[in-house]
Amino acid sequence: MAEAKELKQLFVVQRPPYKSENPKLALTHALASQTAEIYLDDGETVLPTIAFVGDGVLNALNNQKSMDHYGISSNENHVQMTLLIDLRVLVCKEDLEARGIDAGRLADGSALGADMSIEVVPFSEIQKEMEAADQLLFF
Amino acid sequence: MKLGVILTESKRTEDTFERLQADKLSVVLAGNGIYHAVIKENGNTSKVLDKAADFYVLTEDLESRGFTSADLVDAKIKQVNYDGLVDLIMDEHDKFVWL
Repeated sequence: MAEAKELKQLFVVQRPPYKSENPKLALTHALASQTAEIYLDDGETVLPTIAFVGDGVLNALNNQKSMDHYGISSNENHVQMTLLIDLRVLVCKEDLEARGIDAGRLADGSALGADMSIEVVPFSEIQKEMEAADQLLFF
Repeated sequence: MKLGVILTESKRTEDTFERLQADKLSVVLAGNGIYHAVIKENGNTSKVLDKAADFYVLTEDLESRGFTSADLVDAKIKQVNYDGLVDLIMDEHDKFVWL
């Protein structure tokens, strides 16, 4: 029997939302991970984690009205969906504080029924996740 | 010259904006430019707001990013919607540029 293998991916989002599709692309890739598993061998799994740093933390804010104004789903909604499939979503504490944003302004996964919540963590923890990841992807 | 400027970048990496001069200067913060209107980085408001100008922020882009008028960092920033922006461009300025 083949040994179980878990591939850890870390998506690091450093750009703000909407100017480009870049941050949403990271979330979409992470969300697609469950679909990707059908292409893997038995025992292989993919475990993505999302980390928002720098201006990327602005993607994780709640109350985004992009559907009303742009007619597109919000990055907030993508974050909620990511939480709904039990992926970890990390937001850099220092970058949030530097922008004067309270953690209470972050997207709430429970609104969609998610058990997971956004984790506000120091950059040092995101650094550890980078070191632990098999694949590191910056967006 | 009555000049309007639409600013859509959240970071300033060149000094064109700082050197612009006009008898009447208006700055419309749109797209990711709205962050100049709502974020105090390390407690400081954006240097963009130091410019002697009338400041506007585009409501649609503000709300799409999860902010409201309650988040504006300076009372001199006025909200304007798409219709209002058209009026600013057509009625109140000679020229409008996009930085």
